[in-house]
Amino acid sequence: MAGSLCEKIMSETNSYQAGFGSDALKDPRRVVFITRKTSAKVKGEVGPQLMSYPHLILREAIIFQVLTIVLVALALFWDAPLEQLANPLLTPNPAKAPWYFLGLQELLHYFPPVVAGVLIPTLVILALVVIPYFEINIQGEPLWAGNRRRRLRVFVGVVIALVAFLALYDAWTVLVPTLLVAVLAVLAYLQPSGPSRLVQSLASRTLPWWVMSWFIAVALTLTVVGTFFRGPGWSWVWPWR
Amino acid sequence: MATTAWIQLRLEQLRSTRVWRSVFRRGPARTNRTRSLAIFGNLLLHLLPVKVRKKSLRVRATYYLGSIAFFLFVVLAITGILLMLYYHPAVPDAYRDMKDLVYVVSNGIFLRNLHRLAAQAMVIAVFWHMFHVFYRGGYKTPHEFNWVVGVGLLLVTLFLSYTGYLLPWDQLAFWAITVGTNIISYVPLLGRPIRFLLLGGYIIGQNALLRFYVLHCVILPLAAVALIAVHFWRIQKDGGLTVRENHERDE
Amino acid sequence: MASEDELKTAEKSEGNTPLNRRDFFNQIAGCALAVAGIGTAVVTVEYSSPNVLFEPPTTFRAGSPDDYPVNSVTYIQDQQVYIVRTEKGLWAMTAVCTHLGCITQWKPESNQIACPCHGSKFERDGKVQAGPAPSALPHFAVRLTADGTLEVDKLEIVKQGEMLRV
Repeated sequence: MAGSLCEKIMSETNSYQAGFGSDALKDPRRVVFITRKTSAKVKGEVGPQLMSYPHLILREAIIFQVLTIVLVALALFWDAPLEQLANPLLTPNPAKAPWYFLGLQELLHYFPPVVAGVLIPTLVILALVVIPYFEINIQGEPLWAGNRRRRLRVFVGVVIALVAFLALYDAWTVLVPTLLVAVLAVLAYLQPSGPSRLVQSLASRTLPWWVMSWFIAVALTLTVVGTFFRGPGWSWVWPWR
Repeated sequence: MATTAWIQLRLEQLRSTRVWRSVFRRGPARTNRTRSLAIFGNLLLHLLPVKVRKKSLRVRATYYLGSIAFFLFVVLAITGILLMLYYHPAVPDAYRDMKDLVYVVSNGIFLRNLHRLAAQAMVIAVFWHMFHVFYRGGYKTPHEFNWVVGVGLLLVTLFLSYTGYLLPWDQLAFWAITVGTNIISYVPLLGRPIRFLLLGGYIIGQNALLRFYVLHCVILPLAAVALIAVHFWRIQKDGGLTVRENHERDE
Repeated sequence: MASEDELKTAEKSEGNTPLNRRDFFNQIAGCALAVAGIGTAVVTVEYSSPNVLFEPPTTFRAGSPDDYPVNSVTYIQDQQVYIVRTEKGLWAMTAVCTHLGCITQWKPESNQIACPCHGSKFERDGKVQAGPAPSALPHFAVRLTADGTLEVDKLEIVKQGEMLRV
């Protein structure tokens, strides 16, 4: 293509000296660079930038070294547990799952295994995956914006339904953090320009923020209870006993 | 002073040899061009962007949680490979090998402690990273797909931790896995076949140990590496890390 | 040529486009790949499902009926099975809790079979009395062999209430 272009120029103005070879395949030179839109790019203010090398790379290297030091220091003093040889005939009492599943095991205490073991984890994972695709609340408006009374009624209705369901199953470890979060949300409703900075910042929180915080509160409570407050037969024990 | 000058001279000579220049081609990374090449021309590093926004480098922007999770994975891979040198995934041997590692092998107890500690830390780091990304809105367009890849990484991490939990073959391991696999059997329709495939049978025995070992050491790490690569690549392609602006600060 | 084009446009307007050669081959290739993919998946799953299991045998001998006094519950540890004998007869029951697979324990003082994991309680005949267990403890088939010993088959579940009259 470059060759034919060259020929065309030469035929029009004979004095023109083309500086590149006539066979584009043998001696390719870039003539024109056409950019094509390839992927989504954030169109916004980019702000000041730095070269990844050295700025990012060195920071990552430092973080890695700090992490290694902390891990090694802890590993020198904190021994991993090793109990007796596995005995399929003897179940230890209590038989606990790894700590990150203890929240689930605590939930299993209240609900049937299909609900607590299959349904709820599936719903949680699905909810997580779906979060970015729910384009509600793009402006980030707080929970109590707009028609405040109506929102309060809907909110209280949902909370009452949830509390009734949990009370039906006696799942008070889930009930208590739910009530706590609900109380905080209502507090934010009642006193948006409230006395303390905590209440003020709560008043500006969005619905997704409240839902995620509720989820974290419940998961944390369940895990802590399952780890420290459950003994033989999954009965309630006080950890200091 | 004379010795350092001598060393410098020798290094310069080394760096000008043909062998050196055939391996390290761009020269010292002191201009912006060579600094770009340091990232762009590197097989592994070109997953990262050549330039980063200054704001995203601050510790309080991300707390480097994602990086920490990744580094923990690297630590786990290294300690895991070393532990594999002594561990036989067989029913009477596994427990014996654990005792071997803890009491007999030089630095065995240290490596095992490091592995377990890094595993617990990685689960925490991955969860914390997810919550932090949520709270700073790093899942919003165009980062949705990266969030989904992240959820996949969360599941791979949990599954890695779970499969690793069985390997010591002590009471703690055995019964934790018993409870877990029995929960799986409650999945409607597919629960029992999945449990059968996972355990390689009906009971937690030799087959189960071997399958969990293969999952833990081969299948899941490969999946993790692939997903991590996609995760890093998407950050670069979607325009870099999300940093919460000051006026949106929800603190 | 013109008539062929007219035919094509006429059929296009009816929505009845004949498949051209390229699309035909593409579809054939797609189907072939799909078959190969499904075949790979099926072969892998079949491979992963073991045909021979080296697990302890599920049928076992349990001695003679006289070894079990009337109104007793005996736990056979190696097989995780209870042999229960009342005046009415004798049955074999699993000792594995139906909730999440922990091994239960017979508590003679409270006349209950209790599970340590989540507090499920069962009666002597396996019925759930308390706790999160979803169903009663299944009973296994018990037979009397020719030489008068009991044989229990853990793979054969029988109804509650069925028992061996001895």
